Amino acid sequence: MSLTTMIVKMSEGLGKTCSIFFLTLLFALPLGLIVALLRMSKNKIVSGITRVCISILRGTPLMLQLLAVTYGPFYLFGVSVSRNKLIPVVIAFSINYAAYFAEIYRGGIESMPVGQYEAAEVLGYSKFQCFIRIILPQVIKRILPSITNEVVTLVKDTSMAFTVSYQEMFTIGKQIANSQTSFVPFIVAGVFYFVFNAVVDFVMGRIEKKLNYYK
Amino acid sequence: MKKLLATVLAVSMMLALVVSANADTFTMGIDPEYNPFSYMGDDGEYTGFDVRICKAACELLGWDFQIFGVNWDQKEMQLDNNECDCVWSGMTIKQSMIDKGYVISAPYYNSEQVLVVKADSGIASSADLAGKYVAVQLGTSGEALLNEDLADWTATFGQLNTCENFLICFTELEGNSVDAVFVDLPVAKAYVKDHEGLAIIDEDFGAEEYGILFRNGDDAKCAAIEDAVAQLVANGTYAAIAADYPDIVDNLVFLQAD
Repeated sequence: MSLTTMIVKMSEGLGKTCSIFFLTLLFALPLGLIVALLRMSKNKIVSGITRVCISILRGTPLMLQLLAVTYGPFYLFGVSVSRNKLIPVVIAFSINYAAYFAEIYRGGIESMPVGQYEAAEVLGYSKFQCFIRIILPQVIKRILPSITNEVVTLVKDTSMAFTVSYQEMFTIGKQIANSQTSFVPFIVAGVFYFVFNAVVDFVMGRIEKKLNYYK
Repeated sequence: MKKLLATVLAVSMMLALVVSANADTFTMGIDPEYNPFSYMGDDGEYTGFDVRICKAACELLGWDFQIFGVNWDQKEMQLDNNECDCVWSGMTIKQSMIDKGYVISAPYYNSEQVLVVKADSGIASSADLAGKYVAVQLGTSGEALLNEDLADWTATFGQLNTCENFLICFTELEGNSVDAVFVDLPVAKAYVKDHEGLAIIDEDFGAEEYGILFRNGDDAKCAAIEDAVAQLVANGTYAAIAADYPDIVDNLVFLQAD
């Protein structure tokens, strides 16, 4: 098999890799914020439950969570396994990443000085307005580097979807490596991931710069 | 300084141990999830037909027997890297292996690929698979067959799912996310026996043989193992071990002589 064929074949899987990546971000980023707010809830029961959930999601391997989400419902309740593997894969990735994002959001929100809430209250902002208009924009600015960190990891983690036989780029790479007994597909995969992450790095860098409006 | 010296000495001694242990150790490369040839037994130790034969052969030869679980789709690479001395795990002999110069033992098992479907699925032959979802294990001869010799048939499938191991293949079948699994007959038999509601479709998808894969140039090792296995066949140990695996007995080459 020529190098060109290899690259073409693997590029076909790149679309699926991208769909995992973008869909996960789409769901995990807002979900993470909700989880963070639940985690900081004054209600001890709510924050306690959220805390346990986060520690389970962060304390078990993503691969296990993928298997659990994909095949768990079948083993437990006899529900059919989804034919479109993108659904369980995105669900598993989203809840896993939401747990990490939640802790990042929490760190950001808790780092805001209390004085800002008090000042907002004096100026007549409601709690909701204060959070959306004053706190959140600053939080996003502050946590962006940590988010970038997770996003970069997400790019590489997409290869984990192989566990549930979702035919993404790395799965195809493995198939080629196997049939050709060659290491080249892994190098190609490495280059793909690196370029993907270089783009992510660039985009996040631009966003960071854009948000840097106070300097 | 003394501490450093002690550390260096300790490390070098450990290295020496590892190296010297290699001298008469025979590391068998297996797919640890390939019932009935190689799998983890109820006691947590690796067992299976191939494992027990290899163990017995090593005892005969006085070799120290070790097991290494290979990544099935990278078995040739792992063998080349000396991670194991052979791959012996219900492995189909492929022309590509011969072309690459690997030393391969005489075939010991006649196999074939079959389809496993749900008994109530209404799929009765290979022709019924048009537009259906089919699962196959990555790195197996079945996968190679579907992508090469049977590529025209594969093209009629709705989708071909390449799974990490055959357990995932069967889970997908039972969970209705695929309609058929393309797998080696003995594995199919072993699984269908333990799980209700499944059926095997046995068509002629091309005969194949199992052999033991050795590195290029390891002819002596291969000959020694073949010789030891011949002795096991002669003294009845081979048949005794095979008797524990009734599903595969009929296809064992060495037991068909008479």
